[in-house]
Amino acid sequence: MSDVLAIEAQGLFKSFDGNPAVRGIDIAVPEGSIYGILGPNGAGKTTTLRMLLGIIEPDDGHRTLLGRERPLEVAKIVGYLPEERGLYPAMTTRDAIAFMGALRGLPLEVGRKRAEILLKENGLGDYVAKPIRSLSKGMAQTIQLFGTIVHKPKLVVLDEPFSGLDAINQGRLEHLIREEAAAGTTIIFSTHVISHAERLCERIAIIGRGRVRFEGLVAEARDRLRPQVRLRTRAADGSWRAALPAGARVTGGVWEFELPKEGVEPLLKALIDGGAGIEELSIERPGLHDAFVAIAGEAVAREMEESERAEMEAAA
Amino acid sequence: MGVLESAWVIARRDFVATVWSRSFILFLLAPLILFAFVLFAAQMAEDAERSASQPVVAIVADSDTVARLDAARRELVEGTGERLFPVLRSVPPAENLAVQARRLLADQEESYSGVFNGTIDHPFLTGPTRIDEGVGDRLQLIVDQARRARALEAAGAAPVAAPIERVVTEQAAGNLQMLRRKLASVGQGMIFGITLMLATLLLSNLVEEKSNKVIEVLAAAVPLDAVFYGKLIAMLGISAVGLSLWAGMAFLGYVLFQVLQDWMTLPDVSPAVGWPAFGLLLLLYYCANFMLLGGLFLGIGGQASNIRDIQTISMPVTLLQVMVFLLAINVVGREGDALAWFAYVFPFSSPLAMVAHAAKYETLWPHLVALVWQAAWVALIVRVSARMFRRTVLKSSPGGAFFSLAALRRRRA
Repeated sequence: MSDVLAIEAQGLFKSFDGNPAVRGIDIAVPEGSIYGILGPNGAGKTTTLRMLLGIIEPDDGHRTLLGRERPLEVAKIVGYLPEERGLYPAMTTRDAIAFMGALRGLPLEVGRKRAEILLKENGLGDYVAKPIRSLSKGMAQTIQLFGTIVHKPKLVVLDEPFSGLDAINQGRLEHLIREEAAAGTTIIFSTHVISHAERLCERIAIIGRGRVRFEGLVAEARDRLRPQVRLRTRAADGSWRAALPAGARVTGGVWEFELPKEGVEPLLKALIDGGAGIEELSIERPGLHDAFVAIAGEAVAREMEESERAEMEAAA
Repeated sequence: MGVLESAWVIARRDFVATVWSRSFILFLLAPLILFAFVLFAAQMAEDAERSASQPVVAIVADSDTVARLDAARRELVEGTGERLFPVLRSVPPAENLAVQARRLLADQEESYSGVFNGTIDHPFLTGPTRIDEGVGDRLQLIVDQARRARALEAAGAAPVAAPIERVVTEQAAGNLQMLRRKLASVGQGMIFGITLMLATLLLSNLVEEKSNKVIEVLAAAVPLDAVFYGKLIAMLGISAVGLSLWAGMAFLGYVLFQVLQDWMTLPDVSPAVGWPAFGLLLLLYYCANFMLLGGLFLGIGGQASNIRDIQTISMPVTLLQVMVFLLAINVVGREGDALAWFAYVFPFSSPLAMVAHAAKYETLWPHLVALVWQAAWVALIVRVSARMFRRTVLKSSPGGAFFSLAALRRRRA
């Protein structure tokens, strides 16, 4: 990951009609990284992205986009997929992609040629001359994504890109994001589905109720939690119980507790010496979801789960 | 990308999307349909008025009187027009003239306005009091004409016509000024009419982008000023296509009628600045008028969240245009008073007022000043409209439209 920042924001604050939507957001997106902004619906993700792109101005704080304080100055090398997808229904897929490129300074003819290539490479060659209105929602979303990258931007901003897509299209989109990142493009996307961020991102920002609860590497977020130990023993009681940490709890004969700071070896020795009779012992690294709950708090995590559930119901 | 370059991308998209749509054919046909409708309606109205409002007078008299009255009416109608005089219809006299007159006036089918009897030396007109003011006066003219004709006939003198011999000059100052005023009015009317036709299109122009969410893509990629300029340029181009077609058809129609019937002759008049300069100025002022009102309407329409809002604001916007037009018309007949100056300076009436100036006065420099002034206002209006759009629409607050009462309450709170 590069040390140069593609996006840097400090103390971004925005309120609508007196209600604060974003309360002092700080983020730093290194060039060439895939960066995720996580949070439940209404957390302030979209407002943050719109402020970064200069669609709305922050009430306070400042941001730079590819080194510029005025985002429109670098519009030619930025791609943006908004949360609410927007295409002209009467346009053909090729023209829609080329038009989005033209808005970013790509000559129309070049845009048309690249659009054809993008469509053909992604198995949509038959749809080159089809009007947008004849496409399914998922397909239209794919077209808009092509329009977002047709001008080969250095920075791509995607607002809830997986929203409304079925599992197959979500997989395709993940693949496309990885391809773009592999080509050196910085990708920043917002999502309320943790699994996408977990699979794709190197760095994340967890936002809850307008504030950044965590900003850093995914691994750092996970490291906020100690690895979890699951233990099943033959002996129900004995001196080995003294080796378990204070928060250990047992359910159906299985003990669950955080791995002590001293590591696994002293624990194993104490269990064996204490005659626990180990039947099963596993150490699990916590997932991003667990880290999210720990970082953002139960309430925000519950909001996130509700957002995910609503999303899945809508997709179904 | 600069504002102009971005505006061009948007203008090109809008222009192609509009011109290649089926509804554009309807747009092109609209003035023709309107013209045909106006002709038809005018004809119908004239027929209806003729049959309904031209009074009919029953002539209960001997054949000599009837013949003299008919001849006199014909002579008068030739010089003035058919509709000025009542229709005379001969009715054979009955035994009791008073009873016959009452019966004729009560006849619902024939609908007589009055009953004439007697001779041209002792004429009587029976009818309600109020007919004396209109029918009675004109019938008196007919009777007088009949009497003059009979007197000449008795004297053996036939009236000899003395046609006025014309000495043709280049122009008469009064006539020239009158024709130039007419020319100014025609120029103003053309600009007003076309802009009025496009007003609703301009009002609803941004609703498409707002409803299909493209505005978010545009706002992230180009300055909002460019979106507004792009849309204005596209609409100007679309109106140019329409204008070319309508002007071409009008020219063809003129040539056709001229060849077939020698129906129309254009007055021999040239505007004060000369035809080439007047044509150019007319075009420039049309563009300026379109951009000024278009920028305003685009700004107002941008605040509307749906077509219902657009329909609601269409009426006041049309009234605004009419008021501006009336203000500009005022310049045609006035010379340098405060209201005329106001019309020249007020940005929305300035283009129309300056068209009248071009028709009436030779000086060209005021047009340069006016065009710069109007261009500055276009820039200002677009900037303010774009700012308002960004503040009230793009802030993404729920129902964040200018016309939303709920949003207004929230803002006040």
